[in-house]
Amino acid sequence: MAKSNLFSKIKGFVRSDAFIFLLPAIILIIVFYLIPIAVSVYMSFTPLRNWNIQRYIHEFVGFENYWRFFYMVTHDPTVQPIFITTVVFIVVTLIVNVLGGLGLAIATFFMGEKEASGTQLLWLLPRMTPIAVYSMIWYYFFHGSAIGTLNSILMALGIIHHPIDWGQSIIPWGPWMIIIFVNGLVGVSYGMIVFTSAISNIPKELVIAARVDGASNWSITKNILIPLLKWHIVYVTTWQMLSLLTTYDHIFLLVEWGLVNRYWGTTWALYIYNMAFTAAEKDLGLAAAAGVILVIVGAVLGLLALKIMGFDKMVKEPRGDI
Amino acid sequence: MVVVRLVNVTKIFKTGVVGVKDINLTVNHKEFMALLGPSGSGKSTTLYLIAGIYKPSSGKIFFDDRDVTNLPPKDRNIGLVFQNWALYPHMRVYDNIAFPLRIKKLPENEIRKKVLETAKMLRIDKFLNRYPWQLSGGQQQRVAIARALVKEPDVLLLDEPLSNLDAQLRISVRAELKRLQKRLGITTIYVTHDQAEALAMADRIAVINNGRIIQIGTPEQVYSKPATIFVGGFLGNPPMNFVEAEITEEKQGLYMLLSGQKLTVPKHYEPLVRKAGLRKVVVGFRPEDTAVIPECRETGECIKGRVYAVEPMGREYIVVVDLGGDLVKAIVPRSLVLIEDQEVCVCPSLEKLVLFDPKTEKSLETLYAEKT
Ligand SMILES: Nc1ncnc2c1ncn2[C@@H]1O[C@H](COP(=O)(O)OP(=O)(O)OP(=O)(O)O)[C@@H](O)[C@H]1O
Ligand SMILES: [Mg+2]
Repeated sequence: MAKSNLFSKIKGFVRSDAFIFLLPAIILIIVFYLIPIAVSVYMSFTPLRNWNIQRYIHEFVGFENYWRFFYMVTHDPTVQPIFITTVVFIVVTLIVNVLGGLGLAIATFFMGEKEASGTQLLWLLPRMTPIAVYSMIWYYFFHGSAIGTLNSILMALGIIHHPIDWGQSIIPWGPWMIIIFVNGLVGVSYGMIVFTSAISNIPKELVIAARVDGASNWSITKNILIPLLKWHIVYVTTWQMLSLLTTYDHIFLLVEWGLVNRYWGTTWALYIYNMAFTAAEKDLGLAAAAGVILVIVGAVLGLLALKIMGFDKMVKEPRGDI
Repeated sequence: MVVVRLVNVTKIFKTGVVGVKDINLTVNHKEFMALLGPSGSGKSTTLYLIAGIYKPSSGKIFFDDRDVTNLPPKDRNIGLVFQNWALYPHMRVYDNIAFPLRIKKLPENEIRKKVLETAKMLRIDKFLNRYPWQLSGGQQQRVAIARALVKEPDVLLLDEPLSNLDAQLRISVRAELKRLQKRLGITTIYVTHDQAEALAMADRIAVINNGRIIQIGTPEQVYSKPATIFVGGFLGNPPMNFVEAEITEEKQGLYMLLSGQKLTVPKHYEPLVRKAGLRKVVVGFRPEDTAVIPECRETGECIKGRVYAVEPMGREYIVVVDLGGDLVKAIVPRSLVLIEDQEVCVCPSLEKLVLFDPKTEKSLETLYAEKT
């Protein structure tokens, strides 16, 4: 009964107009998301190494890769820092991204037009700069020698007398600070843009009305802007969390260039990338298993975030039965 | 106890657009002043200037003798109701009304008392727990008025608050609003583009066009003695008729020639016409002050024409008559049977017609008053 019901539902969907509208998206999802995931899942059950596909592709090892992964997480002292780093990195960077974006959007809302667009452009620069160039800037900024910008400033001010190797010597705070700083700066612009456009959609009469009643900037922010941005905050938080979970490009360069400590500066996503592409012994089965778990964690976190922050409450009952 | 006074107020926007120019307006204590004008005429701009949301480019604004020109809105103690009501969508009705008092940091029990009182007065006390989107347009509008009134403002400013309501509701709310204003005795400025609304509600009307105030007066004055052709054409439904006429002098006095037919210049207008030395005038007469009779006599009081169309309006008919190319309207009783293309005689009431100068489009009275 249930089966034939589902089948007829699918058939009905395929015949409906909605299907035609969704077809391009469905194809994209299948090609760029479902197929790679299926391949990863498949790989995670093989002992694939060093891209030697012909040799290993038909061998199955069951959950062995997953067991190995869990064993490493629980026993390998070089792997454990990766998970601590990932959690700290995501939580702190997320807070910086969302609060920073919100703060900037609201601050520019209360500014004059010129100052506002100048400020926004400034904060978009990290996003517009090529990843390598942008990473290079911070490489020199945090460099451990006396020519590192931060070191030379602090030394000129007499705060320190010897250069500090920020990313290698102050473990784990040094590497954490650098990767959070660099990614935080890039991510702020996303929230800023989403929140700015959301604020510009709030009828300006609402703000004027509050002003006439004597509301201060802070009280307008607290009582009107933030409540009306609630859904956007949920959205940006979820989106940024998922993208932080999977980002590794800046961190990869900073680690490769030796600025940031490999053990306390590598996140889960970078770890998978390294295992699959840069390690001497490329353990692809293990990398795939770690990747599949990352996807599951991401999906669970995403759903959880929407649930906790009340996404369903936000979708309000429409007036009319459309 | 507030008299609102605008003195030579001009607002030019950053884009160079002139919002309003040289506004002089005094709204008396407890007065209900309507600001009437077409779209884009500067009504909202004037209201925002009074509220302090816009700063005038030049000129001064006084509340009584206090110069408020540079005072921020919050220090003016005004209540403002927007065209779209601007209710906070995320707050319940109660919190919407309480908002201005919370900003003032009043104690919560006092807020409660005032909100309930105001809500009861506007008959929305049943909806205090709802969100704005759960209310009908009329109810939302009352919430917006409650929010403006709850802080007991000195001046109430309303920007087309009824324009989102349907015609029926508008008429009932407008009577209600007028009673409320009289009862509370708050100086009120009411922006509208609906002439019927202005005529029905206001103690006085200020007609504004292209950023300038054209006429200020009681509804009666503005309606029957329009200062310009624009005012005559903007008020009334159907509006005033306008026909151009040539002035001729005969032994018995001055006449106006309308498509070759004579109409006597009313006695009280003769000195004005002579003084202005006009060869041509525009004759304005209201449809309801115009009689239509089937037979013409040569009296200098009527003009021959041809029935162009008859529009039944329920209570009466509107006849459109072709006066040698000019279409004019008259309101006639239903008992008068007229058919298209029938020859008729149009007789505007000579006491009530208004003469305008074709060049400046001003009424001769206005022209004369300006010259002296
Ligand atoms: N903030 C602004 N910047 C530039 N021009 C403006 C601004 N606000 C209004 N204007 C212009 O000033 C003129 C008067 O506008 P205003 O809003 O006062 O008209 P209104 O009489 O209220 O019209 P409506 O009945 O359509 O609301 C218009 O030409 C409008 O385009
Ligand atoms: Mg307006």
